[in-house]
Amino acid sequence: MDVLDLARLQFAVTGSLHFLFVVLTLGLAPLVAIMQTRSLLSGKPVFERMTRFWGQIYVINYAVGVFTGLVMEFQFGLNWSGLSHFAGDVFGAPLAMETLVAFFLESTFLGLWIFGWNRLPKRLHLACIWLVALTAYASAFFIMVANSFLQHPAGAVLREGRLVLTDFGALLSNPSLVAAFPHVVGAGLFAGGTVLTGASAYKLFRRTADQEFFRRSLRTGVMWGSIGVLLAVASGYLQLGVVNDIQPGKFDTQLAGQALSNMRLVGELCQLVFPFILAPLLIRNLLARWRWIHPLLMLLTPLPFIAAALGWLAREAGRQPWVVYGELDVAHAMSPGLTYQNVLVSFVAFAGVLGLLALVDYLLIARAVRRGPGQVALGAPAPADPTPSPALAL
Amino acid sequence: MEIIWLAILAALLIGYFALEGFDIGLGMLLPALARARERAGEPGTRQDQRDHLVAAMAPFVLANEVWLVAVAGTLLGVYPVLDGRLFDGLYPVVVLLVTSWILRDAGLWFRRRMDGGAWRAFWDAVLCAGSWGLALSWGVALASVVRGLPGQPFDLAGLLYGLVVAAVLAAHGRAFAAWRLSGPRETGRGGRRLALTAALAVLPVAVPLAVAAPSLLDHTVSSGTLNVLSIITLPVLPILVVAQVWVWRTFTPGRGVIGTGAARVPSFF
Repeated sequence: MDVLDLARLQFAVTGSLHFLFVVLTLGLAPLVAIMQTRSLLSGKPVFERMTRFWGQIYVINYAVGVFTGLVMEFQFGLNWSGLSHFAGDVFGAPLAMETLVAFFLESTFLGLWIFGWNRLPKRLHLACIWLVALTAYASAFFIMVANSFLQHPAGAVLREGRLVLTDFGALLSNPSLVAAFPHVVGAGLFAGGTVLTGASAYKLFRRTADQEFFRRSLRTGVMWGSIGVLLAVASGYLQLGVVNDIQPGKFDTQLAGQALSNMRLVGELCQLVFPFILAPLLIRNLLARWRWIHPLLMLLTPLPFIAAALGWLAREAGRQPWVVYGELDVAHAMSPGLTYQNVLVSFVAFAGVLGLLALVDYLLIARAVRRGPGQVALGAPAPADPTPSPALAL
Repeated sequence: MEIIWLAILAALLIGYFALEGFDIGLGMLLPALARARERAGEPGTRQDQRDHLVAAMAPFVLANEVWLVAVAGTLLGVYPVLDGRLFDGLYPVVVLLVTSWILRDAGLWFRRRMDGGAWRAFWDAVLCAGSWGLALSWGVALASVVRGLPGQPFDLAGLLYGLVVAAVLAAHGRAFAAWRLSGPRETGRGGRRLALTAALAVLPVAVPLAVAAPSLLDHTVSSGTLNVLSIITLPVLPILVVAQVWVWRTFTPGRGVIGTGAARVPSFF
């Protein structure tokens, strides 16, 4: 394996990890926001408990999404400065907008939401989670603008050996973006819905005391999972036609072709199962009452993540050997001075640390589900009889 | 327009050191401050003291660290050519910095997610080590930028500058802890001291910024791209400021419905 392969592997590993966590962030953020809205509107305690429990799952997952995202952002400068030299004039702009317009606000509002519980007025606290969800989707949009430019460099011309931005509108209406963004949105909602479904099925199967809580969660999960998978599959088909026009032969290589066909297999299976089998069983709560079906629902949980990883692999591997399709290949996108030793060090540091943290994070999510809504740290009320805290002496 | 974006980059970097600086400093001093609180007769175990200290910075961390994400985004978008050159010259330092950052954050996010003293003590140690890694690698990186990116950033001058950065951030972190955990009567004085250490914390980055400014101006992205960036981004900047102010209004001692001390509000971190 040479230095280029190692740098590519590093990007693939950290990028896949990032997407696995981000796709659930995108799915859970609006669902938690809807739960909190219902809590405020109806005043029913079950919705507040749902907000806190699923909100806790959401923020545990969010952490590794951020860790991996940091590495992605710095990796461009570290390993792929050839790309920013050649196309930074176009490619850097949506990434800068993502950090300044979207992520900056997402992180600030999320801090307010997590730590402002029982502190902020209820309406403002609710506004925080909606702003978090909104900026999360704005973030995804700008990242997809940047990625779509790499798939189909619209809105730029080659001048003196570098790409120059000529038409920002063309960047935003990129045919590679138009179908791919709803595809990502659908995949996110599908992932969020499936996690709610699988976790609720587990709790119902274990005969939890919180029957109403998880019956409602199961219902929300199946409904949003159905909406998500339908959106993902429909926009996926739309996208196939576009790809044939702008990147002919994209899925002809073995890796990209296999990733695509396996993703379609998962997607089409779930498109059948969620809206056409599970959703009708919500009538009279049959799905919640049939205990024998719950282990099958649990088995569905990893499917959206497998599909998301495969879809990402198909989109990126199918672009090879190009970084900017038809304009810049990976060998020239690599940082010119990159040494094997440097990439090895960063690979071990990033992939190793992130891999371990991702593993820990998944175990923590599983543990939070197992403990159930009774012991949630997020939004825990203040102790009834607080003792005054004396001044800190240093 | 080039000047405006240089000012934005400078403001983001300075904001990062003034704000995230105290989180890093507090993380570095976590064991020492916990011991000091214990010796001063604060109720609770040493782990309780660490919990209070982390809870003091917890509501600010997400809003603080994001300033550096914005710095990196601005470098990519406004100075793409320089971005690659900078990261090439600082490769191992940036790897250390980002890894330390991730570990520091992991310490914060994970420390309360399991019961048991060993788990929390382990992530507190990770938090402290990550904070030290952040401060030292910042110092090495800034010293390297001042000297025009020499081949080997980890030399004596780099390490010395690392210690300088670590020292000012530690002072800033200590001032923050004193301000945030003090009673209502002392917060005024503590706040003035915090502003002073904030000014101290931005000094190590002000010099490299001034040195790099001409080179940054020379390597600004094309004016077409800059205009697009400005049209999309500049109208949103006031919202960024408002959101930050909102964080400080919400979590400043003496405000809010729960009470004065940070220790009394249950903390997620």
